[in-house]
Amino acid sequence: MVERLDATFQALADPTRRGMLAALALGERSVGELAQPYAMSFAGASKHVQMLERAGLVSRRKVGRTQMCRLQPEPLAEAEQWIAQWAKFWTVSLDRLEALLAEEQEKAR
Amino acid sequence: MSAAPVILTITRSFDAAPERVFDAWIDPDKAGRFLFATPDGEMRKVAIDARVGGEFVVVERRNGVDAHHYGRYEVIERPETLVFLFRADPSDEGQWTRVSIAIAPSGNGGCTLTLTHEMDPQWAAYEEQTRKGWTMILGSLAAVMEDDHG
Repeated sequence: MVERLDATFQALADPTRRGMLAALALGERSVGELAQPYAMSFAGASKHVQMLERAGLVSRRKVGRTQMCRLQPEPLAEAEQWIAQWAKFWTVSLDRLEALLAEEQEKAR
Repeated sequence: MSAAPVILTITRSFDAAPERVFDAWIDPDKAGRFLFATPDGEMRKVAIDARVGGEFVVVERRNGVDAHHYGRYEVIERPETLVFLFRADPSDEGQWTRVSIAIAPSGNGGCTLTLTHEMDPQWAAYEEQTRKGWTMILGSLAAVMEDDHG
């Protein structure tokens, strides 16, 4: 799981790619449409899309001569799962620390 | 190539002095009673070498299986800062994460503890903007859980 997350976060480290994902969250877009807000070439946009594709965040299909991109949100769910798992873990420890300190305080009285 | 960190942040207030909260993390007797301890688990081993570069091992038996937690201290500045590399079963040998604990006095003798857990320590150096973005997107879950806690 962690290896896949590496690819996910590498893909997400770039603001352009995050912007592309935000656009894709609204629906399918062509590579040209994704490139438009960034004043970049089709080739440049295509490279970004490739990185997103490698991370499993985007899938592509050909419609005639146009490449349509679609958001694949599953890898993000993995990251969220990691966060949730450890948040729970630490919350348990912190709850117990709180109880331990309160207990000590009580004894000291 | 830059990569973004996955960061989890949890904040907790205590009615205890910063020194007491700090010491609990590195005192084997106290740590064994809260750190990585689960309600039904049985603490098997707590070894703490609280020096920069020193290591700790905490082993708790859960449902008949030993859960190992390993750490290596990077910063020990009583009572404000504790930073350690961290690894727990079932992660792979080389799969270290980093845990930072910041303790700040909060008035009327209490303190606020902020725990930050970074999935990949290599990512710690990356620029603030990226970090902020990710904390915002992914840390929100922890914030929600913390709100639930009250």
